[in-house]
Amino acid sequence: MEELFYHEKGLFLQKLHPAASLAYICTLLVLTLIFTNPFYLAGLFFCTGLSVWMLEGLETWELFLKGGLFMTVPIMIINPLVSKAGATILWRGPSLPVFGEITVSMEAVFYGAVMSLRLLDVISIFCLYNIMVHPDKAMNMLERFAFKSALVLSLATRMFPAMIRHLENIKEIQLVRGVDFSGGTFKQKINKYTNLIYILLLSSLEDSMEIAEAMHARAFGSGRRTRYVRDSIKPADSVCLAAAAAALLTGAWGTVKGYGVMNFYPRLGPAYSRGDMRMLALLLSMLSIPSLLSWGWRYCRYFR
Amino acid sequence: MAYTIVAALVLAVMFLSFERGKATSKEVALVAVMSAAAAMGRVVFAALPNVQATTFIAMVSGYVMGPESGFMVGAAAALVSNFFMGQGPWTPWQMLAWGLAGASAGLIKRIFPGIGRLGMTFYCLLWGYFFGWIMNLWYWSSFVRPLNINAFIAACISSIWFDSFHAAGNAILYYYFGEGFIKVLKRFYRRMKVTVRYE
Amino acid sequence: MPIFQVKNVSYYYPESEKPALKDINISVDEGEFLLVAGGSGSGKSTLARVLAGLVPDFYGGIFSGRVLFKGRDIRGMDRRKLSRHVGMVFQDPEKQLVKTEAEAEIAFGLENLGLPQQEMLRRVAEAMDFLDLAEVKGRFIDKLSGGQKQKVALASVLAMQPEAIILDEPTSQLDPACAEEFFNLIKRLNEEMGKTVILIEQRLERCFHLADRVAVMKDGKLIIEGAPREVAAKSVAGGMPFIPPVARFFAAMGFPDIPATVKEGRGILKKCLPLHNADEESLGSAGSVEKIGDKSGDVISLKKVWFSYNDKKEVLRDINLRVFPGEFAAILGANGAGKSTLLKIMAGLLHPDRGRVFFQGEECGNKGEIFREKRVAYLAQNPNDYLLQDTVEQELAFTIKNFNIPDDGRIDRLLGEMDLKRHRNKNPRDLSSGERQRVALASVLVTHPSLVLLDEPTRGMDYALKAALGEYLEGLCSSQLCVVMVTHDVEFAAEYAKRVIILHDGKIVSDGSAKQVLGNSMFYSTQMARMCRGFAADILTVEDAMETLAPLLSQNYKLALERGLW
Repeated sequence: MEELFYHEKGLFLQKLHPAASLAYICTLLVLTLIFTNPFYLAGLFFCTGLSVWMLEGLETWELFLKGGLFMTVPIMIINPLVSKAGATILWRGPSLPVFGEITVSMEAVFYGAVMSLRLLDVISIFCLYNIMVHPDKAMNMLERFAFKSALVLSLATRMFPAMIRHLENIKEIQLVRGVDFSGGTFKQKINKYTNLIYILLLSSLEDSMEIAEAMHARAFGSGRRTRYVRDSIKPADSVCLAAAAAALLTGAWGTVKGYGVMNFYPRLGPAYSRGDMRMLALLLSMLSIPSLLSWGWRYCRYFR
Repeated sequence: MAYTIVAALVLAVMFLSFERGKATSKEVALVAVMSAAAAMGRVVFAALPNVQATTFIAMVSGYVMGPESGFMVGAAAALVSNFFMGQGPWTPWQMLAWGLAGASAGLIKRIFPGIGRLGMTFYCLLWGYFFGWIMNLWYWSSFVRPLNINAFIAACISSIWFDSFHAAGNAILYYYFGEGFIKVLKRFYRRMKVTVRYE
Repeated sequence: MPIFQVKNVSYYYPESEKPALKDINISVDEGEFLLVAGGSGSGKSTLARVLAGLVPDFYGGIFSGRVLFKGRDIRGMDRRKLSRHVGMVFQDPEKQLVKTEAEAEIAFGLENLGLPQQEMLRRVAEAMDFLDLAEVKGRFIDKLSGGQKQKVALASVLAMQPEAIILDEPTSQLDPACAEEFFNLIKRLNEEMGKTVILIEQRLERCFHLADRVAVMKDGKLIIEGAPREVAAKSVAGGMPFIPPVARFFAAMGFPDIPATVKEGRGILKKCLPLHNADEESLGSAGSVEKIGDKSGDVISLKKVWFSYNDKKEVLRDINLRVFPGEFAAILGANGAGKSTLLKIMAGLLHPDRGRVFFQGEECGNKGEIFREKRVAYLAQNPNDYLLQDTVEQELAFTIKNFNIPDDGRIDRLLGEMDLKRHRNKNPRDLSSGERQRVALASVLVTHPSLVLLDEPTRGMDYALKAALGEYLEGLCSSQLCVVMVTHDVEFAAEYAKRVIILHDGKIVSDGSAKQVLGNSMFYSTQMARMCRGFAADILTVEDAMETLAPLLSQNYKLALERGLW
């Protein structure tokens, strides 16, 4: 836990300007949350996976998906239990105080399944974020709008691993002074562990004054400040940014026109139509542009 | 989707309210240290079932430093710890839940200055449940239809044991350590204001 | 015109009765290298903060007198202007970096000054090039070594292009090799870039010769000031311990011309003494390991111990080590050599991957926490990490309660022995740093251990505190108990330890009496040993030299003077 989850591999997608990568990720996320058509959700899943693959992150993705599958279980259970809108009843259960009569309809089961797919989409998109955007870059973006908050975040991020090491030292010291961390009641255990945090806090608060002093000595808060910009927009960034924007607009327009949205209740509506598929193809081609560029960057010198 | 937008708006508003006013190095450093310490709260208690000292530290910070800083401590603790543990869809909601826990402790101090040890212990206990409910909110609002209160209750019931451990941990933490932490933090908070006398 | 003029400055920290500075008058010339020495609590750091404008602005308190920067009172100066002209580097790199990446860190001060982007780009690049920081660019700042972090801190100050740079014990957290490198950078700043440098230090072995002028402080007052040679003579006369060994030796000998470096010292010796052939002498004894103390039974013995963290590269490789009662052993070695790991294995905090550990003849099982049954005391680097209770007494009681040891008056005795009785009911965190370390030590000694382990006990301590600690540890060893410490402080090891073990890359490369090991080593050696090599054997400290070398030297010195060789 002392290392950032993000690992710099120097890959094309990691080198994108944070505005471009964040726009791409936000677009994926928004589209996932507005579409309900399983084909669309599967398509987004595919696009996200493609980018993850380009970032050499398949192993990480597997971990996220395993956790995600675990999280889909309640969705599969709660949806059929609480929804009474479905017409095709599969099973009639007993009557419960708050929920009334329990019925399980095929539509609700199907809805649960599609929502599970959506959850896996969301999980995958965050997985992509983790391996694609350096925390620094994200914080630099935040600095434009809220530099004080961004500074708090970067300072806390810098201190986090050092504090973990410090905590380990404090724990060792408590061990040699005879504190037994494995024994005792729930309350005693909480006491022992909280002592660790208390010692850490006492030292860290002292440190905070020294940090503040170092900031003060470097003219922090002495007036209007400027911002040091490290990332510049490259042509590839503009292309990705444009692709994300276009996909977002197309998606929004599509939803208004009724594409990508499926009816579940009372009976399942059609998921497949020629127009829908055309629309999906268009969206997917836009959303795969960053991955394609990444592929080309590596294997085809004309892209450079 | 609508809930996500509301959550994002609340986060944005709270961040901006923290931005207001002049940034002093002591304030930034103190809030950052408390955020990192609150993030440690997630690490230290890994051996115990769902005891989250993060909630407690965010609330203590809010109690001493006010709602804006309290929110920042909670939200930053969530975001920063996830830089190391992995961000997920839970991140913004954790930021919101811990942030609100911190901010609410600051507010309650303003509204009921004499709330006392037992009152705050009870309040911390409640926040164990509130936290769980806010975390259920994203899950429920994004993946369950129809959006009615029954469905939400179902989600909350399914997590009640989990949340109870959180609440019990909070209560024990505040009851035994709350005053001590507040005393220490207050001492440093006071040191933020200095007066110079020239002779 | 002098760059700084301090006139009659006195200062009290808030809520403090005792003045931190009393009537200070000093001026610093443009381009000068001023070294400010003094013990802990002497006010030297406060003086640095006065010059940087942090006292009283940042701290508050009561201030009197005037500080002029280039003739202008800094009280009326704009803070931004002042921080552009005066930069300050602090002790601990961990506590002055605010960003997660080096480049952003260096830019931080420039952003605060409100400089335009083009100017920032140029300055960041220049600072990185000057300090050779290209390789750390883009890396997570936490992953850098201590030396690299301190270089980043220096770069972030340099980028602001100050005329004067104030450094407050900048190397106290670095190992000797990094410290050396850092001082060389400071020297370049002064000599090649013409910056005024004000260096606050309490350990002067590596920087005494760099300074144009030295000021010594005590109890908030400036007591000696002048050129290094003058100061050396005066402080030896006044019994001050701040002077590095070589200078101290010649000053004590009453030489008119006091050398500051080993090279200069050897130059003088060469004129007075014949040079022996060093090689022949030392070869005979280098290989053999002499055991000190009672050999009847070892306290701890490690047999073929190997260790690695998380199955990565081995940190300890095939360690064989026995420590006997009454021994005081020091483990030396570069950073990452495995010193602290070895100590933790001995403490029972870590368990070897392969090999066996015996404590007082009994084998320690894989989860047998020996500190619990057999009473091993372990003092980690930061004594503050021990302090949890409200009073000193409770701190000791906490430990014995955990071990279920009844208090048979041992707390009382120990507090008396360690001169802590008068603090018994005080909060340990309110004590001075030396006292806090004694409380931490007492809190582990209260179990009456037979093995005492210390990890860098002298870090950040001044001469007086070190001497007190060394003598106390020496006294401990005489009974049933042995002491093993890990340290970077060769001078301290030479003075007090009887046995020295050198660790390199996880292996013991040298083990023997302090005289043998330190006398023969090139790098792990004291200033005096390096100076006397080839002239006289077995000299590690000034006291050794005063005993064996001084009579010879003063005789020959007179002869040399008569023959007109001087």
